[in-house]
Amino acid sequence: MNWTIIGVTLRGALGRRRTLLVALLAVVPVVIAGIIRVGGTTTSGTTLTAGLLDGLLVTTVLPLVALVFGTGVLGAELDDGTAVYLLVKPIERWRIVVSKATVAAGITMALVFPATLLAGLVVGAGRGGESIAVAFAIAVLPGSILYAVGFVALSVVTSRALIAGLLYVFIWEGLLAGLFAGTALLSVRQYVLSLARWLAGGDGRAITSSVEVQTAVVLAVIVLVVSVAIAIRRLASWEVRTVE
Amino acid sequence: MTVAAETGTRIGAEAPGGGPAIELSDVSRWYGNVVAVNEVSFALGPGVTGLLGPNGAGKSTLLHMMAGLLRPSHGDVRIHGRPTWRDPAIYREVGLVPERETVHPYLTGWQFALFNARLQQLPDPAGAAARALQTVDLADVQHRQIGTYSKGMRQRVKIAAALVHEPDVLLLDEPFNGMDPRQRLHMMELLRSMAAAGRTILFSSHILEEVERLADNVLVVYAGRLAASGDFREIRRLMTDRPHTFTVHSSDDRQLASRLVGNPSVFGVELGDGILTVRASEFAAFTMLLPRVARDAGITLFELRPTDESLESVFAYLVRR
Repeated sequence: MNWTIIGVTLRGALGRRRTLLVALLAVVPVVIAGIIRVGGTTTSGTTLTAGLLDGLLVTTVLPLVALVFGTGVLGAELDDGTAVYLLVKPIERWRIVVSKATVAAGITMALVFPATLLAGLVVGAGRGGESIAVAFAIAVLPGSILYAVGFVALSVVTSRALIAGLLYVFIWEGLLAGLFAGTALLSVRQYVLSLARWLAGGDGRAITSSVEVQTAVVLAVIVLVVSVAIAIRRLASWEVRTVE
Repeated sequence: MTVAAETGTRIGAEAPGGGPAIELSDVSRWYGNVVAVNEVSFALGPGVTGLLGPNGAGKSTLLHMMAGLLRPSHGDVRIHGRPTWRDPAIYREVGLVPERETVHPYLTGWQFALFNARLQQLPDPAGAAARALQTVDLADVQHRQIGTYSKGMRQRVKIAAALVHEPDVLLLDEPFNGMDPRQRLHMMELLRSMAAAGRTILFSSHILEEVERLADNVLVVYAGRLAASGDFREIRRLMTDRPHTFTVHSSDDRQLASRLVGNPSVFGVELGDGILTVRASEFAAFTMLLPRVARDAGITLFELRPTDESLESVFAYLVRR
């Protein structure tokens, strides 16, 4: 890790207008939870909390926040040319990747964790949904790391990482993982749901997941290691686009 | 002096550690079917060398290969004897000023220089950043965000970033773009003094006059090939030796042609489709001769137009030789 890279990356990421927009995106589930709470419902607290946090936070907010920052911290700099100042320095490429991924994962966690906890407690507190809210909030932490690192790697592999990331989130995870059991094995969303289900104990029955928690942990570690390895390898042989 | 892609060209003295500072051996780079750089070989030692060529000649590709940011498709690129591709350690000795203007707009000049000094892991990054900004004459505006800088100021802050660790080899891609004449002179003095201190400086330009004023030696690149290399004055002479072509429009083109053809500085005349084309040995001499001949013959000149004074045509001539 390199603190100079982390500092400048953090400054660049937080200074952009899109950061504010993404922060607003993280607030949306809390607002919706408040509306549900005020409006009243007959659905049980555990089912309601699990439904809201799965359907809104884990399926949409978490991957989108990670996508914006994961592709922004390094891929955007490779595209606009500012990464050259970083790459022509005597710094091992793994330090650059780890530093950039740390910033992307850190910001994602900082936005998604409180949003999950707050939205879960607003809709489920006092109605049996507390354990579900806490379980989801903890589960989105490794989920943030996995998504962010995966999207950082994607941004080094392709200059169209944003589109590729959206396809992964909405086509692979949103559509195919629900239709074919095998595709769920490569779904970060399913890992998060599986972990949340396990963390929630008895209340976890309200959470639907296609992957066992042991399998999810093993696959998550593999995905993390492979993503980091790909990012380092591709960055080490990254070539500048020459304007002739 | 070498012309037309002779291999093994050597320019400048040996670097302090012995051997050339920059060495390219039979280097080619292609993108699919397009050859950007074709079998280029040369060795550079301390001094200022200009990499001259028209736009699209392969200058940036060569510089990026030297900076380790592009893999040669064939051949070997070394700095101080070490291959540049996939070796971040070379950047302790190399500074690069890229052509692209983009610099982190949210940082101030000071923060950007300090960022670069810290990444170089210098013992006193703040001192090094201050010196670099002073050197490029940006100390007064160092606390302004780079996003508010003019094009020339952005160019200078990029140079400060490349100088911050006082590299032995400095590669600059079109470094004078956007600078006003005073800044340009200042930067030329700076590069000359660095070269005098034993550093190897290679800068690219498509402007002949820029190279003429700064570089002792040049590498002329045309269509991906090394068209000429060596002492600038020698190459300049070759450029002036080539025939110059003009089109002339007058009140009596036929008579003017017959008068001109007897002059020894005129290589040939051609009359066709109402246009008189003249090939002369010297540009300035012909532009003085023509009005005299026309006046003596009582012919009125309407137009005189040089047809091949672009750098491209000069390089094409060098390649043909």
